[in-house]
Amino acid sequence: MFSPAVLGQVFVDGIGLSAIYILIALGFTLLFGIMRVVNFAHGAFAMLGGYALYYLYGGLGLPYLIAAPAAALIVATVALVLERVVYRFFYQRMFQSMIGLLGLDMAIMYLAVIAWNAEERSVPPSTDALLHMGSLVFPAQKLIIAAIAAIALLAFYVFTHYSRYGLAMRAAAQDVDIAEAQGVNSTAIYRLAFFIAIFMAALAGGFYAQTYALSPFVGEPQLMIAFIVVILGGMGSIPGVALGGLLLGFANSFLGTFYGSATSIFVSFGAVILLLIFRPWGLLGVKEA
Amino acid sequence: MSSKTLKTIAMRALCAAALSGAAWAAHAQETMKIGVIASLSGGGTAWGLGLERGVQIAIDQLNAAGGLKLGGKTYQLKLIAYDDQYNAAQAKTAADRLVNRDQVKIIFGPVGSPGALGSLPVTQPARVLQFVDGYAPQILRNQWKGAYVFRINNSTQEFSEPIVKWLHKFAPNAKKIGMIAPNDATGQAGVPILADAYRKNGFTVWTDSYERGTKEFTPLLLRMMAQNVDVFDLNANAPGEAGLLIKQARQVGYKGIIIQSGGAGIDELIQIAGPLANGLLKYDVIDESLPRVKPFVAAYHQKYSGVMNGLAPVYYNAANILFEAMRRAGTTDNTQIRDQLEKMTGYDAPIFGKVVWTGEKDYGVNHQLLHTFVIKEVTNGKASVKAVITP
Repeated sequence: MFSPAVLGQVFVDGIGLSAIYILIALGFTLLFGIMRVVNFAHGAFAMLGGYALYYLYGGLGLPYLIAAPAAALIVATVALVLERVVYRFFYQRMFQSMIGLLGLDMAIMYLAVIAWNAEERSVPPSTDALLHMGSLVFPAQKLIIAAIAAIALLAFYVFTHYSRYGLAMRAAAQDVDIAEAQGVNSTAIYRLAFFIAIFMAALAGGFYAQTYALSPFVGEPQLMIAFIVVILGGMGSIPGVALGGLLLGFANSFLGTFYGSATSIFVSFGAVILLLIFRPWGLLGVKEA
Repeated sequence: MSSKTLKTIAMRALCAAALSGAAWAAHAQETMKIGVIASLSGGGTAWGLGLERGVQIAIDQLNAAGGLKLGGKTYQLKLIAYDDQYNAAQAKTAADRLVNRDQVKIIFGPVGSPGALGSLPVTQPARVLQFVDGYAPQILRNQWKGAYVFRINNSTQEFSEPIVKWLHKFAPNAKKIGMIAPNDATGQAGVPILADAYRKNGFTVWTDSYERGTKEFTPLLLRMMAQNVDVFDLNANAPGEAGLLIKQARQVGYKGIIIQSGGAGIDELIQIAGPLANGLLKYDVIDESLPRVKPFVAAYHQKYSGVMNGLAPVYYNAANILFEAMRRAGTTDNTQIRDQLEKMTGYDAPIFGKVVWTGEKDYGVNHQLLHTFVIKEVTNGKASVKAVITP
C-alpha cells in the first residue's frame, strides 16, 4: 500500500506546499503586524501578480529572473495609489479594514474579470524539470519556490530585526505615538511596509499561478491560505508564518494522502477553530494586553 | 380651404402613411431573447465559454442571414448569459432570472450535472426548452419526464462502455483503474456508470473524491499511486482540474496511462499541463480537421482569440438543430417546437451530421443526442485523433 517511496513523496510534497503557503502568508502577516490591517484584498494583489508575470514572462518572454521580481514590483508600485486613497484610512482600524478591504477585493477581482474575462490561463513554469533521487521525484519549480521562501523568511527576519527601517517598523507596530515622538515618520514607514507586503503577495501570486493556474478568482484560495497560516502561527509574527506554513503544508500532505481531502480540510479548519478558542493569539503570536 | 386642396392633403397624408408603413414593415423585426447558463468562472470556465460562444456564433449567422422567420414575423435573436459558477444554487438563480425576469423561452446550458439539476425545477414547470450537457441520468429521467429538456452531447451512459472496450484492446495488460472525481452531482452520477463499465470488462476500480475548487491534488494522487493503478481515468473533471491532475500526477512520478473518459476539449488540458500532457488519451466530441467542422472553427477564430473548447461546436450544432425545428414548427410555441425537435431524426446538422435521438430505454424519453466521438492522443504538445468510435 503506502511504500517508502510514496511516504517519501508525501514528505517532498509537504515541503513544496509549505513553501507556497509561507510565501503567500508573509505579506499578509506583515500588514497586520505593523498596521493592524486585516488585508482581505491580499488575494487580489496575488492574482494581479499572476497576471503581471503572465504578460512579462509568458507574453513578452523576459528572462524569468527579471520577470518574476519585475512583475511583483509593478503590482506593488501601482498599489501605492490604493495605499494613499484606501489603505491609509484603515491603519490601526482592524474591524473597519476587514469590511472595507473585502469590498476592495471584490472590486479588483471583478475589474479583472472585465479586463481579462474569467478564462483560466496557464503561466509557464520557470522549469519543467523533474529531479529524481532514488524513487523520489522533485519538481524543480517547487524546489525553486522552497528556496525563495527560505530566503524571503530570512530576509524578512533580518530586515525587521537589524535594519534601521525594520526597527522603525517594529517600533511603530508597538506604539505609533511613541515611535513618532522618537522621530519615526510613521506615514513613510507604513508606506514602506505596505509596499513590501504587496510585493510579497504579488510574488507569491506569480508562483501560485505557475504552480496551478491563473484566473481572476485565484486570489480567494490564496487569501484563505494566508488567513489559516497566520492564525495558526500568530497574527503579525514572522516566525509564526514559518511554523504555520509548515504545519498546514505537512498536515495537508499527510492527512490528504492517508485520510483523504475531506479529512484534511476538516482538520485544518478544526485546528483553526480550536486555536481561536484556546489561544487566539496563535502559536507564536503575542497575547495582547 | 377648397375641396381640391383637401384632396391633395389627404392624398399626401395617405402616401406618407403608406411609405412609413412600408418602412416600418421592413424593420418589423422583433427581438427574441435566448438564454444561456454557463460556467463563466472557476474550473468549468472553458466549458462555459465554449457553450456561450458556440450559441453566439449560431445566432450571429442567423441574424446576419436576415433573422428567424416564424409565422409571418421575423425575429432577431439576442443572447443573454449568466454565470452558474458550475454549481446548482447559482444555476437555479440564473434560471430564475432568465425565466421570470428576462422572460426567455429557450435556454442553452448549463454544462455539468450540478447546474443542470439545479435549473430544471425552474425551467421544466415553466415549459422552457432547455439544452444541457451534464452526465447525470436524472437530467432526462426526472419527475417532469424530461419533457422540455434535451441533452445535446453524449453522456457517460452512451460513451463509457465503448471507451472501456477500446481501452481493453489498447492496453490489454491494464488491470486496475484509478479515478479522482469532484464530490458533486457530476462525480456522484458519472463515476458509478463509468466504474460499472470498467468492472463489466474485468477491471478493478479505485475511486476518491475532492471538493470543487481544489487546486492541490498531490495528496490524493499519492493515495491513488499507493493502490498501484495501471490507468488513471480523469472521468468528467472540468478542464481546469483535469489539467492540474495530469500535471501533478506526472510531477509525483505516476508513469501509468492517463485517459479522460468524458468532457469536451483537449487544448486547455495541454495548456495547463504543458509537456507533461504528452501521452494523454482523451475522449473528445469532434475532429477539427473534418471538412464539415472546419467552417465553424474558422468562424470561431475570426470572432474569438485563444483556445477553442470542444463544447463550442457542440452547442453550435444544437442551436442549429433548434433553429431548424423552429422553422418547421413555424411558431414560438414551445410544445410545438419540442414536437418538431423530436421528429428531427435524420436532419443533417452542421457538426455531427444526421441527428439521432435516443434515450427511451435509459431515461424514458428520446431526448438524448447520440453522436460519433473520437479518442485523441497528445504527442509533442499536439492532439491528434487516435480512434473514431460510434456508440
